[in-house]
Amino acid sequence: MDIRVLTPADIPHVQSTNITNLPENYFLKYYLYHALSWPQLSYVAVDVSRPKKSPYEPPRIVGYVLAKMEEEPINNIQHGHITSLSVMRTHRRLGLAEKLMRQSQRAMVETYGAHYVSLHVRMSNVAALRLYKDTLGFDVEKVEAKYYADGEDAYSMKMDLEFIKDQLEETYGVDEGDAVGEEGKKDGARKEGDKKGKKRKVKLGRGLGVGDLVEKNESKG
Amino acid sequence: MFCIGQLHRGIKAADQILKKKPDHGDTIAMKALIINNQGHTEEAFAMAKLALQKSMKSHICWHVYGLLYRSNKNFEEALKAYKFALKLEPDSPQIQKDLAFLQMQIRDYPGYVQSRRAIIQNKTLFRQNWTALAVAQHLAGDLWEAERTLTTFEETLRSPPPKSDIEHAEAILYKNTIIAEMGETERALDHLNAAAKDSPDRGWVMEKKADYLLQLGRMKEAEDAYRALLDRNAEYRRYYEGLVAAMEIDKSDPQALKALYDEYAQKNPRGDAARRIPLDFLTGSDFREAADSYLQRMLSKGIPSLFANIKALYADSSKRDTVQDLVEGYRSGQGVVQMNGTAEKKPESTEEQQPNGVEEKAEKTEPFKPSVHFFLAQHYNYHLSRDLDKAMESIEEAIKSAPESVDYHMTKARIWKHHGDVQKAAATMEHARTLDTRDRYINTKAAKYQLRYNDNDGAIENMGLFTRKEAAGGPLGDLLDMQCQWFIYEDGMSYMRQGKLGLALKRFMSIFSTFETWQEDQYDFHSFSLRKGQIRAYVDMIRWEDHLREHPFFARAAIAAAEIYVMLYDRPELASPMTNGVNGDRNSAEQRKAQRKARKEAEKAAQAEAQKKDARKPAAVDQNGDPKKEDKDPKGDLLMKTSDPLEDAMKFINPLLEFSPKYPKAQQTAFEVFIRRDKDLLALRSLLASHAIDPSDPTTHYQSLRLRQKAIQKPPAVPEAALKVFESELSTLVSHDADLSKLNNDFLQAHHESAPHVQASLRVRCELLDPASKDTASQDLIRTLALEGSTLEDALRGLELLRGWKADEKYVDTYIAAAHERYPKATTFQEGQAK
Ligand SMILES: CC(C)(COP(=O)(O)OP(=O)(O)OC[C@H]1O[C@@H](n2cnc3c(N)ncnc32)[C@H](O)[C@@H]1OP(=O)(O)O)[C@@H](O)C(=O)NCCC(=O)NCCS
Repeated sequence: MDIRVLTPADIPHVQSTNITNLPENYFLKYYLYHALSWPQLSYVAVDVSRPKKSPYEPPRIVGYVLAKMEEEPINNIQHGHITSLSVMRTHRRLGLAEKLMRQSQRAMVETYGAHYVSLHVRMSNVAALRLYKDTLGFDVEKVEAKYYADGEDAYSMKMDLEFIKDQLEETYGVDEGDAVGEEGKKDGARKEGDKKGKKRKVKLGRGLGVGDLVEKNESKG
Repeated sequence: MFCIGQLHRGIKAADQILKKKPDHGDTIAMKALIINNQGHTEEAFAMAKLALQKSMKSHICWHVYGLLYRSNKNFEEALKAYKFALKLEPDSPQIQKDLAFLQMQIRDYPGYVQSRRAIIQNKTLFRQNWTALAVAQHLAGDLWEAERTLTTFEETLRSPPPKSDIEHAEAILYKNTIIAEMGETERALDHLNAAAKDSPDRGWVMEKKADYLLQLGRMKEAEDAYRALLDRNAEYRRYYEGLVAAMEIDKSDPQALKALYDEYAQKNPRGDAARRIPLDFLTGSDFREAADSYLQRMLSKGIPSLFANIKALYADSSKRDTVQDLVEGYRSGQGVVQMNGTAEKKPESTEEQQPNGVEEKAEKTEPFKPSVHFFLAQHYNYHLSRDLDKAMESIEEAIKSAPESVDYHMTKARIWKHHGDVQKAAATMEHARTLDTRDRYINTKAAKYQLRYNDNDGAIENMGLFTRKEAAGGPLGDLLDMQCQWFIYEDGMSYMRQGKLGLALKRFMSIFSTFETWQEDQYDFHSFSLRKGQIRAYVDMIRWEDHLREHPFFARAAIAAAEIYVMLYDRPELASPMTNGVNGDRNSAEQRKAQRKARKEAEKAAQAEAQKKDARKPAAVDQNGDPKKEDKDPKGDLLMKTSDPLEDAMKFINPLLEFSPKYPKAQQTAFEVFIRRDKDLLALRSLLASHAIDPSDPTTHYQSLRLRQKAIQKPPAVPEAALKVFESELSTLVSHDADLSKLNNDFLQAHHESAPHVQASLRVRCELLDPASKDTASQDLIRTLALEGSTLEDALRGLELLRGWKADEKYVDTYIAAAHERYPKATTFQEGQAK
């Protein structure tokens, strides 16, 4: 089983894996949004041991973590968020989820200067809770009542990532520097366009200033 | 998209203006745009045309006209309208952009480059406009220009941007990919070292560096680079392969290789790759030793996915036998080293009730024994090592020790499936589901097995336990919305088996539309990604989208849909609800013609009906507030009542041929459509393609003789020159004066031990060459059941064949009896085995 970064071509099977394992599902476009906004953060576990049956056979995805950076962090403290994680039942307990999570967490720190990572989990999900709490070291932040569509409560969990920053500095001997996008913010925002319709804020670190940019929408005259 | 409230306000505002100025083209155009957004396409177009009549010279009207065409996917017309608008208002940034993104969407690269140049003229300072031009040049194939464009902008930067400037960092890495794509590895490496030292995407930089060094033959440095990568992620084969190459380890020296992997196994106590990979290259007693310790380690941890991780080794039959021997040894208590004690400590969680859990009672006592039985059950259930009785024995043994284990019951269901008892398989999987009702995976499996048992209602009911309650259209609506491809496909296949062709087509059409959506999905990213600055990921996405429809999700549904259209062509009566069942009488050509005519009329009537329903009313909206079109044909009746099924089939055949040409089944399905349309040249082209992939493929054999026979009886009505080409190409497969019977017999002789091949040759004999031989062919077909390597699937296909050529009932009965003897537990030979 390979653990590697997710690419757009993986998405149809990541989507399949998701809807096979979890009730929280998304359109393909939402996966694209993750992959094209934070290409370093999402990982897949792929079964590479069997030869391909046809030249078009896509990678056999058996697990994935879909992750993002918070777009509008409170107090501008950069942090990551786990949107979704699952492993096919036939491939559970091989350590895949743990490895996927660790890769993603490092990238959050390394590429986007994340200080911590957050996630939601069903209070009844013992396997996931054990993974998050005991194996990885997440803490319960609070309970979010009726977080899930079916009325179940969620634990909102959080894990500090400063230790990764230290590890990286030790390994690569460099200052990991400031969080992405923090300084730009001070220079004020530049707006582009004034489109109507639903707006999704898109933050983007750049030297000149963080653009408070608006996602393009196709309906304007 | 607009939200509903805005739309209403928009219309109101427009109406107010129009009251005063009824001829105000721009306002009419705006109103058209809003109405289009509400889902009233035709009316919107009528209004936009009116607007243009009023204000021919208004760029707004032309722009709107283009937007309407775009939203209805008529890209060509949209392009024209935008260009016209731009002529009237050359500097409008909005029109410029809309044109550019459309050009990108339809891959008009030269046009896109041009548009990007125009945009830069106005906004030289924006980095994203330069990057966009570079992307255009890059995708257009002009790598050199692309690099130069990026460099030009870099040179305008007075001081180096801070490290936190993601857009800058990304542009550097993007430039690096372009240099590498030019084949200038050395320069790419230098560039990486100079410009990307502190890149925030460290992982990627390290990967590229290792690859470049290896390509350049700088082995010592490459070794260090791959080692550094493995320190970050020791579960990626590519890194090990790189390291092995860099260290120039002789691949024929397994011991040297093994030593390297051992080193990494030691370093990563929780890792798998370094332990598992050596099993691929070790042989003989080395393999045995390594497999032994790998298996025991996993078995004593009670890891249920062990078999999934092992079965690839079975391609080598000696490895398969060794594994079997080892694990059988564990079962009988031989050869087990005391490993239980040394296995990693297990968490104490085992007392808890586990939704999603895999830790079951088995683990509380001792995981080793039940794990061994579980492994053997999977082993004997696997096609390369199949012995279904032993498999059943083993799984029962495992279940004894853990009666509540979802995994064990799941495997039991799979064993029933392989026995051909789809009913017991479904029931067993359903039982497994009830053991952990909170795990969607097992729910999914249960539903899938229900579909295989043609229990569509039961399946959707189970699926409904996990779909969103508020979803429009119930569970199926949610699954369609969420693009749940596997379910839609399996549901369709199930309907197809039941002869409910309308519903089946309906499902395959949904898959077709989902792919259209996926193609459309990229549109927003043409601008989004430039703003986000993540260019490499964007380019990856574009390249993936370019061959989106090669995905098997698409191909398999397209093939099934085309097959249905072929059935509808051959037997139009299938489309009318009176006759049902796929095995009804075949009609004469006369009758077929009459039926088709009747069909045409019915189709017209149905369409008129549908249009009436389309009368203006506010359309329902989906969760994005986008208008949702009401489904006027939920059962697919309209689809099925087509007057030209073969023409409709082309909707699926064209993309199949474009994107999956190397997939034999795609070519073979295309052949069936072409030969019926008397497009013999195209049929030949598909035949040549499938022949090139596998000259001895059974279907290809049948199709070659069929086309040759047709060419003899009725040569294609094409110009002399084309006919000549046709002849000479076809002759490369079957010569003009070949003795077809002899060819067919030779084929049979050469493959007499393979059921699919024998079936193909019997089919040729009975359907093409000598219909009078039906009885002997039927008897020969019965004998294929006794062939050693033949499978349950072969047997089912044989039955279909027999029914297809309308064999005498007594042969059908004998066939079924013989099939039962060979597959005693199979229920699939009974008619109406479905629920
Ligand atoms: C939760 C889930 C992702 C775990 O995936 P996995 O690859 O099997 O997990 P790992 O093998 O990496 O497990 C790492 C650790 O997590 C804990 N863990 C995982 N599954 C567990 C289970 N069923 N019971 C108890 N602990 C478990 C263990 O501590 C384990 O370490 P160990 O094997 O050394 O004891 C998987 O069970 C899953 O996909 N479930 C369904 C979807 C889901 O619930 N996703 C989480 C949504 S928030």
